[in-house]
Amino acid sequence: MNYVYHLLIMICLYGMLAQSLNLVVGFAGLLSLGHAAFYGLGAYLATLLMMNAGWPFILSLVAAVVFVGALAWLVAIPATRLQGDFFVLYTLGFQMIVFSTLYNWVDVTRGPFGIPGVPRPVLFGATISTPAAFCILSLVVALVVCGALWLLASSPYGRALQAVREDAVAAASLGKDTDAFKRSAFAWAGALAAIPGVLFASYSSYIDPTSFGLEESIFILCVLVIGGAGNLRGPLIGAVVLVLLPELLRFVRIPDSAAANVRQIIYGLALILMMRFRPQGIAGKYAFD
Amino acid sequence: MLQFLANGFCKGAVIALVGLGFGLIYTTTKVFHLAHAAIYAVAAYALFLAMGAWRLPAIIGIPFALLVAAAAGLLIEIFVYRPLAKRSASAAVVLISSLGVYIVLINVIAMAFGNQTQILRPGIEKTFAFGSVILTRVQLAQALVGLLLTGAFWMFLRRTRIGQICRAVADDDTLASVLGIEVGLVRLWVFALGSVLAGSGAVLVALDVGMDPHFGFSAVLAAAVACIIGGLRNFLAPAAGGLLLGLTQALVIWQTSARWESAVTFGLLIVFLLVRRQGLFGVVQRMEER
Repeated sequence: MNYVYHLLIMICLYGMLAQSLNLVVGFAGLLSLGHAAFYGLGAYLATLLMMNAGWPFILSLVAAVVFVGALAWLVAIPATRLQGDFFVLYTLGFQMIVFSTLYNWVDVTRGPFGIPGVPRPVLFGATISTPAAFCILSLVVALVVCGALWLLASSPYGRALQAVREDAVAAASLGKDTDAFKRSAFAWAGALAAIPGVLFASYSSYIDPTSFGLEESIFILCVLVIGGAGNLRGPLIGAVVLVLLPELLRFVRIPDSAAANVRQIIYGLALILMMRFRPQGIAGKYAFD
Repeated sequence: MLQFLANGFCKGAVIALVGLGFGLIYTTTKVFHLAHAAIYAVAAYALFLAMGAWRLPAIIGIPFALLVAAAAGLLIEIFVYRPLAKRSASAAVVLISSLGVYIVLINVIAMAFGNQTQILRPGIEKTFAFGSVILTRVQLAQALVGLLLTGAFWMFLRRTRIGQICRAVADDDTLASVLGIEVGLVRLWVFALGSVLAGSGAVLVALDVGMDPHFGFSAVLAAAVACIIGGLRNFLAPAAGGLLLGLTQALVIWQTSARWESAVTFGLLIVFLLVRRQGLFGVVQRMEER
């Protein structure tokens, strides 16, 4: 049963990650390969606050969300000058810088050794330690995040964001500050990505930089692209498919050493085939054009 | 100091080669070719196969590696990019496909050869001293081949018909095809040539420090950054950008440590994006021309 809880928790975490990335990719139309950086910064920041400063879980979570959101906003300032491919390169660069900071700033992050013993969340005096309780917590948080995104997406703000995506020049001529919209979308996405980061840290109770590298960013983008961008259904479907797919592969007899590679090859092929035949993903609305 | 500059120059020469290939492909076809990194790895492992496993001499192994790289580039263009170009798919669609190709190829290589680092030539390299500067034989080759191929590439663009056609297609591919140029054929040329340039960079690095399946990615990121700081739409600018990047990396490594290399690369990129967005030799363009 714990196995089922684990899968559900993973679906919640990647659902939230893909949902938050969707705000940038699907709604603002900016492809990003740096999402795992925000995810990782959230995880590290909350962990350090809980373990070194002794802050309670909720307070650390809020601080991580606010800080990462603000950082994402700052990062987006030069980025809005860039178009298409170069925006992607920029986010990739941000991802590399964050990774090498987490990896090399050994005094604070313990670098490649990682941080063991991240405390479990304590809510209203109760410690959430069993997988079942953690699963409920993740489901509740995921629901709240999706609800917030639904409000954001169906508000005038969400529609303006899509207008900026469809035709920046037309949106600007109607008095919309397109750069400000892109910046705020990036900030929201970063802030919301910090939440699964904090949950991941306290769930696995151990974090190290390799969980938040470029491969993770690529994986989050895979979840979104395969599920479909531009609406709220796509990312959730993507999370379900990509979390469960490797579990199905367990039943096929593949040697353990090759399993990770086979999984990656399947993701890669899925990306190529999706882009060729169904760029809007399984259930998405936005086909990247 | 001089020693670090010399090391930086050799490193920059390799970045320049990969960057010239990346830039040629990007400027001509508008494909942001992340799979260039996979081509890089394919070339290195082809060399490993030829020289390490089959024990062929370098004189056969290196052309074999370059041929395999060119073939891989052509296959990617024919089976992945060309169908997308026919549909005039958006840049984002092409980029995601390219990422997919990269993931597939890298993992196929990892399955075939393992994830560990493979070294081609163990032992201590023969060195040459120029005053106070000491270079290994491979470093010397990196600098010389970098300069020679950049020169040859310049000649190719200026003097051969296919080179001129590449420039025409880069300028306006619709107009070029109206004037009777087979854009599809030109794209094949561009991918073959770009892949050979990436392959030659990969060979020069593989001979020096060996390879692992993922080592192409940072090389191609550096190459893409070299293209931007050199200035896009200028075929030779990546060479200048690559040299600048190599020298900057060497200086920072001298002052701090090698661990911050990728941070330096992207720090430089961000500085250029903020201060001189069109790059060293680029021209400012209007939004609709991009």
